[in-house]
Amino acid sequence: MADTQMSPMQLVWRRFIAKRSAKIGMWSALVIFLTGTYAPFIASEIALIWWDENGLQFPAFASLFNRLEYVHRHDLLFNLIALLLPIMVLAGVFLRKKFKLGNMVLSCIGILTAIWIVCQLPLIPGQDRMRALWDNRPLAQEDIGNYTKNPDKVFAIFPIVTHGFEQTYQGANLKAPFTMNEKTSQRFWMGTDVRGRDVLVRMLYGARISLTVGLVATGISLIIGTIFGALSGYFGGWVDLLMQRMVEVMMSFPTFPLVMVVVAMTGRNVFIMMAVIGLTGWAGTARLVRGEFLAQMNRDYVLAGRSMGLPGWRIMFRHVLPNVSAPLLIAATFGIAGSVGAESGLAFIGLGDANAPSWGDLMNQGRQNIKYAWLIYIPGIAIFTIITALNLMGESLREAMDVKS
Amino acid sequence: MLAYLIRRVLWMIPTFLIILIINFGILRLQRPPLSYEMSGGQSQEEAGSRDAEKGQANLKNHLGRLKRTGNNLPSLINLRGFVDKDDMIEILEDLQSKTGVKESERYEQELELMISGHMSVEPLVEILKDESLKSLHGPASQAFMMCAYTPLNYEDRFEYSSEELGEIQLRNKSLADMAINYTNEIDKAFKVDDENYESKRENILNYYQRHQSIYVQSERRWGAIFGDTGFMVFMGKLFTGKLWSETKKRYVFEVIAERWQVTLWLNIFSIMIAWGIAIPLGIRSARQKGTLEDKTTTNILFFLWSLPSFFIGSLLLHHLCTDSSTGAALFPHRGLSSDDSLWYGTLRYLLDIAYHGLLPLIVLTYASFTVLSRYMRSNLLEQLNADYVRTARAKGANEDKIVYGHSLRNSMITMVTLGAGLISELFAGFIIVETIFTIPGLGLLLLDAVLQEDAPLVMGSAVISVTLLMVGFLIADVLYAVVDPRIRSQYG
Repeated sequence: MADTQMSPMQLVWRRFIAKRSAKIGMWSALVIFLTGTYAPFIASEIALIWWDENGLQFPAFASLFNRLEYVHRHDLLFNLIALLLPIMVLAGVFLRKKFKLGNMVLSCIGILTAIWIVCQLPLIPGQDRMRALWDNRPLAQEDIGNYTKNPDKVFAIFPIVTHGFEQTYQGANLKAPFTMNEKTSQRFWMGTDVRGRDVLVRMLYGARISLTVGLVATGISLIIGTIFGALSGYFGGWVDLLMQRMVEVMMSFPTFPLVMVVVAMTGRNVFIMMAVIGLTGWAGTARLVRGEFLAQMNRDYVLAGRSMGLPGWRIMFRHVLPNVSAPLLIAATFGIAGSVGAESGLAFIGLGDANAPSWGDLMNQGRQNIKYAWLIYIPGIAIFTIITALNLMGESLREAMDVKS
Repeated sequence: MLAYLIRRVLWMIPTFLIILIINFGILRLQRPPLSYEMSGGQSQEEAGSRDAEKGQANLKNHLGRLKRTGNNLPSLINLRGFVDKDDMIEILEDLQSKTGVKESERYEQELELMISGHMSVEPLVEILKDESLKSLHGPASQAFMMCAYTPLNYEDRFEYSSEELGEIQLRNKSLADMAINYTNEIDKAFKVDDENYESKRENILNYYQRHQSIYVQSERRWGAIFGDTGFMVFMGKLFTGKLWSETKKRYVFEVIAERWQVTLWLNIFSIMIAWGIAIPLGIRSARQKGTLEDKTTTNILFFLWSLPSFFIGSLLLHHLCTDSSTGAALFPHRGLSSDDSLWYGTLRYLLDIAYHGLLPLIVLTYASFTVLSRYMRSNLLEQLNADYVRTARAKGANEDKIVYGHSLRNSMITMVTLGAGLISELFAGFIIVETIFTIPGLGLLLLDAVLQEDAPLVMGSAVISVTLLMVGFLIADVLYAVVDPRIRSQYG
């Protein structure tokens, strides 16, 4: 009897979460997401808490939104998520009864946008209090001697690994895992790369790039594909014919070389990469949505909507689209896995963002210095894990929703 | 059947054209490298004649580079032939007012003017002939020198006949002689009224009188709208086989002719092996649904499917192709044949190639093979649950007959569609595999071209790849007609 009171989405969720493979996939993806998001608190040369005669400071938090501190744009996004995630989870737990989910998501997006805008403001000069948040003074281990007169009285808590992700260590190139770093008297738990940077830290930050590319590229391709497929399926006739030809051209287009050429011609930029992977990958989604729309067009509720005089876009996106969301969700899960693979592949052949710490870039170094196994195994296993996790989730979702492949 | 094939071939033409246009558009995104030196030296304090000469040489190099990539022409529609005297006056006045404002800004505009080349010569001469426009004669004469110049480069030795080449060189020389007389004032030319412009003007007008015929654009301007564009130049070069690769110093198709067969054979073998393993495996797995063997196979295939091929490739390269402390490498780490393989006998040569090609083939194959066998299994299972199978079972048909005679034939229709979709996925595979194992194929060529920003080579290899892809699709269509009787009956 309990089943009848649940919404279809709840039912799917219950069936989905009952599977072991789904659980494994979800947990691995979640772990990778969280380590990526909280990378500045796990591995950074900046202190978490710093207490000296000037008072208590939280340099790691302050540097999250210091524009001189974060290097890449997507880092800002993840820093925001790192800050907002606990708030959102708490709000979700405590306010679930009072607010609808949609309102909550909307307000969170609003907060994110507001913080984003604030972060784009120039550095605020003037009062010391104001500047503390923006101050370009990372308090690292080396600073203990320089910054304060009496180093003994400084109380500082550092992250577990005190290596920055762009920090190169002289003479520490291609060191094997577990080698001691003399400068910081810490071990390189996963060795170092060609330029003497800690692989573990770069792996943590690399998760951010992989996830960003996966999510954004899939989002772009889903949006384009859905609009395309919806128009094609809804209007039919010559619109359909024309659009199907375009989809066919896109389908027969070799995506990987195209992305390669665009990335090489316009600059090695993560955002261009995302845009191109998204813009070339929508054909499959369009075909899928079109098929589902064609099946839905003969239903009574569409006829009812039409006879009530609803505009076409409303029938399409308000009424038909929720009915075809199940295959879309599955396609999205596999799409993220595909985009992550594509990004890593591009970085692997040397077309990634030269500055960004990416898993594929580490493997590229491993390929060029083939004797150093950890440069192949560590990023390879990470890529394999995230792709497997997403594929497991997709498979379980497909079984839970009982959709034919 | 024939009608179906003709229809498919005809559909290919627009697809091919659209792909060409998209490719061309992407290459247009590439900006020419800007250099300050070309407008007469960076440091204006010591802008002597040496710097000016250097500036002229740089300019010529730059124009030649633009011409090589077809970037000196508009992409799709060329309206430069319609620039008349009034437009030119506007441009020159703009240029004159900009001098000294910002070097780079002025440079951009000068470049705009110069890359229009012969198209701008006529209005410039009209300005020079007009006595009432004395203030513009300085910049106009300088602009004339740049526009009338015909940049030559290495590939032109093949494009022009020797007489034409000699004539162009003579023309350029007389222009250069005129220009060198003015180099001392080359920076001043845009800025101040030049006192000696009368003699310059005479020289230029004399020069124009002698070579008028090649600069007359008024009859050609209509044909130039679509004819003299970057796209048409590119297409012309493509279809006459005259795309020139700057980095290889050879024709693009010559380079590709050495390379494409390697990639083609690798892919053909890979497809054959993938289908040869995947279909029996999928059938076996589907027939034994629920058994331990089926579960193991499915799970292994699932994990193999999630393994990125570049990971496997790198691992193989690390473990099997690298000399370690314990012994020499098992497999060669680069190329598709030994260095001295030309002197081998036939059998040894083939064995050598097989030895070299084994690991690349494995990496290239396993990705598509896992997808294929997974789909084969689920597809066949779906077919085995269909009503017609129940009917066949009820009338007592043999199980083998049901699987191979009825279900398999139906699921092959879906499989062929999927196989056609997988062809374009192969591209990612062979680019990565050729990069890992350093195989001199199309993929490595494309990567090299992309990294060195050699636009004609990129276009050439892209066109060849797409052509191969199209042939693949055509074969898939033929197979589709073979396995699907509905198509055969529809087209008679």
